[in-house]
Amino acid sequence: MSRVLLLWCAATLAMSPLRGQDSVMARAHHRADSLLSSWREAQRLADVADSLEQVRATAGSDTIAVGALRIIANPSPLPLREAAERAWPAIDSLYGSVAAELTEHPYIFRAVDPDTAVRRTVLHVGAELPWDLDVHATSRILLTTVTPPRFDHAFADWLGATLRPTLRPGDERSAVYLQLVTVPSEAVRGCFLGDIVRCKDVLQIGDSSGVLARWYVTPAEREALVSGVFGDYFARGGTALSLQKCRRHQDDACTALLQSLPPGSLPRPLAPVARMVLVREALRAGGRDAYRRLVAHPDSPIETRLSNAAELDIDALVARWRELVLAARPVPLTFPWWASVAAVLWTAFFGFCALRSSRWRL
Amino acid sequence: MASLKGWVVAGLLGCLALALAYLPPRGASSSGSPFFVGQSPSGTPARQRAKALAEEWRNADAAVRLLEDRPRVKGDSLRASPAIVFRGATLSSNSVRDVENVMDSVWRALGLGETKVRVTLAIELQRPYASVDAPTPLQDRVAYLAPDSTHRTDCIAYLPAGAYWTSFILGKRDAMQDRLGRFAQWLQAGLGPCAFYAAYGNPGRHVQSWLAARNWDVGLYLGSHGIAGERFSSLTILGDPRFPWFWDGVYSFPPATVACIAGRPSGCRAAVLAGAAEERMIPIPNVVLPERRWWRAQHLLPGERYLGDIARTVGRDRFLAFWTSGEPVDTALAAALKRPVGEWTADWERGFVQPIRLGPAAPLEGVVMALTIAVFAIVLVAGTASRRQIR
Repeated sequence: MSRVLLLWCAATLAMSPLRGQDSVMARAHHRADSLLSSWREAQRLADVADSLEQVRATAGSDTIAVGALRIIANPSPLPLREAAERAWPAIDSLYGSVAAELTEHPYIFRAVDPDTAVRRTVLHVGAELPWDLDVHATSRILLTTVTPPRFDHAFADWLGATLRPTLRPGDERSAVYLQLVTVPSEAVRGCFLGDIVRCKDVLQIGDSSGVLARWYVTPAEREALVSGVFGDYFARGGTALSLQKCRRHQDDACTALLQSLPPGSLPRPLAPVARMVLVREALRAGGRDAYRRLVAHPDSPIETRLSNAAELDIDALVARWRELVLAARPVPLTFPWWASVAAVLWTAFFGFCALRSSRWRL
Repeated sequence: MASLKGWVVAGLLGCLALALAYLPPRGASSSGSPFFVGQSPSGTPARQRAKALAEEWRNADAAVRLLEDRPRVKGDSLRASPAIVFRGATLSSNSVRDVENVMDSVWRALGLGETKVRVTLAIELQRPYASVDAPTPLQDRVAYLAPDSTHRTDCIAYLPAGAYWTSFILGKRDAMQDRLGRFAQWLQAGLGPCAFYAAYGNPGRHVQSWLAARNWDVGLYLGSHGIAGERFSSLTILGDPRFPWFWDGVYSFPPATVACIAGRPSGCRAAVLAGAAEERMIPIPNVVLPERRWWRAQHLLPGERYLGDIARTVGRDRFLAFWTSGEPVDTALAAALKRPVGEWTADWERGFVQPIRLGPAAPLEGVVMALTIAVFAIVLVAGTASRRQIR
């Protein structure tokens, strides 16, 4: 009898950690399940609360409709209608027939007194604007905060920015021209000189493999990139030796270092504005349905999407982009003929005054 | 004299004209728009509560998964280094062997072999989650299941691999030497407190309570290099150490931390002993979840390597004596360091941070500039006075 009791005690003791483990596990599971159920309930409540907050935030507000733009704002001196009338043509010309969908994305503004020190209520919906903005500033806000209809992440990643209208397209083109002539890159220079394949490379259109060799063509460019942009990054740990080799003009080391970078971290030779100008040109060439075609197939390659939007061969589109950019060469600064005469006269005048000065007498 | 008076009168009249043109009440049109800061929209209280619950669930779910892993862990008798469990994808035997080889070298580099506390690394490979019925599981934070009174010899590290290391482990990226080095650093940093448990066993009651109270911020990294490579510590994440601190950044830390950055031993002592006075019960399960941005919540900079540096400085025996001591933390630490805690820590801090100056003090360049202007003014006045003609 005592032997049986002993065996039972031993078995109980041996099993106790397992039971302990089970109870800990059960408690952890129970806690996770309970939290999950609370979270689901909280999500449902939050959806209702957000919806009510949307209604509350827009209650007593005016709705201004211009074209497909819908602006919901509290009564204030803000010139929203005039600004919308200015902004709408630019928005409509960019998004074309899809711009009609903007009625689903109304702007919600809360106009506030910019000079008061009274604490404002917490903002849950929309954006705050000072009510003393003029028409120009307000229309700029409408243009820069418009929600692009059906915009997809793949396109945004390639573009590096959000596609929105601009009031100064000429400035964008001039900026691209300056990049074409100043960026220290053989690929960009090739594009400037008329090599359309190079233009496609630097605009990141087409084959995405081997971008390192196509963006940074010469060993000197790769070395400059490693030493300049990534010098500090590679100076630590196991890459320090490769960095030294790269700085001693060993291109293999430079290339290996650049290839070890996480994807997407290689700097693009041209800024997003270059791709923006290309997209604007594609949309201009394609007419009112161009944007609809651009966003119709988010899974297609970028060159196909641009080509469909513009209804042009991609090479032809890139060639048009290049011509457009070259035509936007900034005007050199020229002096009027009388400027040099005025400068000489002023110099002579001050010199005369200086010669006439005498010792101070008090 | 008369001609000079004329110039003075003309100058004063000019000033008056400018004042009339530009000063109120007539005023001048503003040169630019006034500075206005709009509020960023914040979630409704209900949405914020849902987010907080989601975060709590993530932590609880991570604890469940760590607990589920514990019974499954089987030690490999041929390997002294941690067992590795992959979640989220089935790996080829070659990929598993490659990761194990890197882990073996990391383990040897830490000077570890067979250890009393068995470490397991649970690597979570990234996969898409598209469920609307549950929040996204923990994917951006490490978590540890430290030994407790029911399992005194198991420590499990949960390591989300993210997109980059997932593709590396799955063999979708070339295993170049540089990447292998970074992968080894990532694994080493991922061991966290488990490396200390493996190297020195279970800490004494006071030390364990102290570390639990401060969420292990001083024991996150046992390696001798920086957490992500040579010289790369949490200080590097906070900002480029070559440039001066932003004061906003400095004052986001607790006062003791700021005093320690300024090189004050009393501040350093307070920063080290934060949490030492608390008597914490070690929970079962003993899950350690470092903050999401742990480098911003440190009491010491770079705190993650503080205990590791002490262990290397004082040697294994003295550190082990501190680690397992039954004495209060300040006594045990001072005995191991053979110096007052504050002084040793202030010296250690100086090795990473140029001490900042606290309190009002004129900058050197400002003093030089002021003196230069003063000397110039004196010379000008003296020169003018010497040219005066008295009639």
